[in-house]
Amino acid sequence: MSEVPPTRMNQQIFKAKKKAAEGGHKLLKKKADALKVKFRDYAKSIAETKSSMATDAASAFFSMTQAEYAAGNFKRKVAEGGMTARVRVGAGVDNVAGVKLPVFTKYETGATAENQSLGLVGGGKKILAVREKFTVVLEMLIKLASLQTSFQTLDEALKVTNRRVNALENVTIPRIEGVLDYISRELDELEREDFTRLKLVQGKKQEEAKEEEKAKAIAAKLAAESGKPVLARGKENDEDITAQYDADDDADVVF
Amino acid sequence: MVTPSPKASAGDIATFNVLHGFPEALVRGMRSSFLSDADYHHLTQCETLDDVRLNLTESDYSDALADSATMTPASLQKAAIEKLVTEFQYLRSQSVEPLSTFLDFITFEYMIENVMLLLKGALSGRDINELIEQCHPLGMFKESTMRSIPTFENSSRGYADLYQTVLVDTPVGPYFAMFLQESSEHRDGDSRNVLEEVEIEIIKSSLIKYWLEDFYQFAMKIGGDTSQIMGELLKVRADTNAINITLNSFGTPLNEPSMRSSDRKRLYPSVGHLYPAGTTMLIDVQDEDELGRVLELFPQYSAIWSIHASGNGDKSIDDAFYERDVQQLELAFESQFHYAVFYAYVKLKEQEIRNMVWVSECILQQQKDEINKFVPVFSYHSPWRDGKKR
Repeated sequence: MSEVPPTRMNQQIFKAKKKAAEGGHKLLKKKADALKVKFRDYAKSIAETKSSMATDAASAFFSMTQAEYAAGNFKRKVAEGGMTARVRVGAGVDNVAGVKLPVFTKYETGATAENQSLGLVGGGKKILAVREKFTVVLEMLIKLASLQTSFQTLDEALKVTNRRVNALENVTIPRIEGVLDYISRELDELEREDFTRLKLVQGKKQEEAKEEEKAKAIAAKLAAESGKPVLARGKENDEDITAQYDADDDADVVF
Repeated sequence: MVTPSPKASAGDIATFNVLHGFPEALVRGMRSSFLSDADYHHLTQCETLDDVRLNLTESDYSDALADSATMTPASLQKAAIEKLVTEFQYLRSQSVEPLSTFLDFITFEYMIENVMLLLKGALSGRDINELIEQCHPLGMFKESTMRSIPTFENSSRGYADLYQTVLVDTPVGPYFAMFLQESSEHRDGDSRNVLEEVEIEIIKSSLIKYWLEDFYQFAMKIGGDTSQIMGELLKVRADTNAINITLNSFGTPLNEPSMRSSDRKRLYPSVGHLYPAGTTMLIDVQDEDELGRVLELFPQYSAIWSIHASGNGDKSIDDAFYERDVQQLELAFESQFHYAVFYAYVKLKEQEIRNMVWVSECILQQQKDEINKFVPVFSYHSPWRDGKKR
């Protein structure tokens, strides 16, 4: 800050800078708060989804066991079959306070379900239950994946924003304030110097005037006594400061 | 029908033991290898799968499980099935005609399953070794036959070749022939792309139907106690399939009015208590209510249906069928001088394997509330035994 010359112009510049920094700080703070709210929301729904998913997944896998008990080992039949996807995952973008969050959505491709006649001679209903339960689990999985990625992106964005807010609050603004302080201190100092100087000059002048008065009175007295006027012109010239001032001598002093 | 008639009858109380006494003695000896009530009780108390393994070392499964390093429900199932297959193959090697053909009939079901798996795998271009690994060991063909199935090109021409050169030589070939012939009649001639167009599961159901009919005819020709006991078992099996096919077709394209009389009708076996009156009625059934009304006419199924219709989640129709199967199979196992005991043995062992897998899955997934929902084999606590100890 010491590199900044303490002038009125710099003071104006830094005042503008401070205003900008404060404005930015306010905006970023708002953004950080918005992100934080969203972040909490996501954390909450992730926790909820995860906890409900635990039971759902367990029941889905158990329904699988039940179906295998009833229909024999049908896993390989499903695995060996040619498969066209009935469900696909699409990626979209959600915008939260200027942060782009990925959103995964499930959509049906419209393909008909395969292996519909699986377990025809036994256990078909159980296999149907497995199909339904795993569809639910898949939906939750997609939801969780979406939440989790958003959560991470949001976390990253929140960290950056917080860092910016803190940098503005704790580094940039105090520094600008320091500079402003310094400038105004220096300016005050100069003003005070001027003031004392003027005071001094004025005091000297008054003293001089008094002495002149005194001299005049003495001269008048003497003249009255001797009837001869006294010239005090030369003396007056010596005493006058402004008469001796030469601007060239103090070229480096700026007022 | 398809399989030639047996060369001789199974024999009666006086002559059965001449040829088939030893295999029967063997299979009766295996009666003691079933897990007891106490075993099941211990298994359900286990906390981890290692406990299960520890408990099973006390049982007949100790040798089968000795090799596996880690215990998972799948590895347990695999080991148990392998054990069953070893036992079955030993029985097969000790048998003479017509029992050996009868035993082969039992394996045809699994062969159909395997062929379907190979075909499906071939369609999606899987590795043949991977596919063979997943086949049911009871339904294995010759290695060369199995390997050649997926080598055919994925076209209608390829399928025609596949059928003519490979499948026709397998024991289940005739069923394929019947299926293709019926399909071509149904489609006015062109049988070329049947295998491509029809869903694998429906082909499988058709083949199973032919197998059931063939097996039934064969059992009838053997005569004696075998035809009585085995006939009853297969009739019930056929009815179960018909009911299940109807029930499971709801909500699929198979239930559309045009498909009902053309495709679904063809899946109903032409044996069983429901045939022909019941299956004729089943053709027009379009929802569960109507199915229930048809089954009300058949006392032996109305009880099972009411379990399903009452709708409480405790017991599904599959559980009810299993329970009824186990009861029948136990009865078949206990009587003497007939072949059905071998069929009953395989099926009861299958149920036992299902039970073990169920229990271990329940333990693994910590679903202790559900752990007792299986049908124990030869249990003193079965509803039909009235809880009395013999």
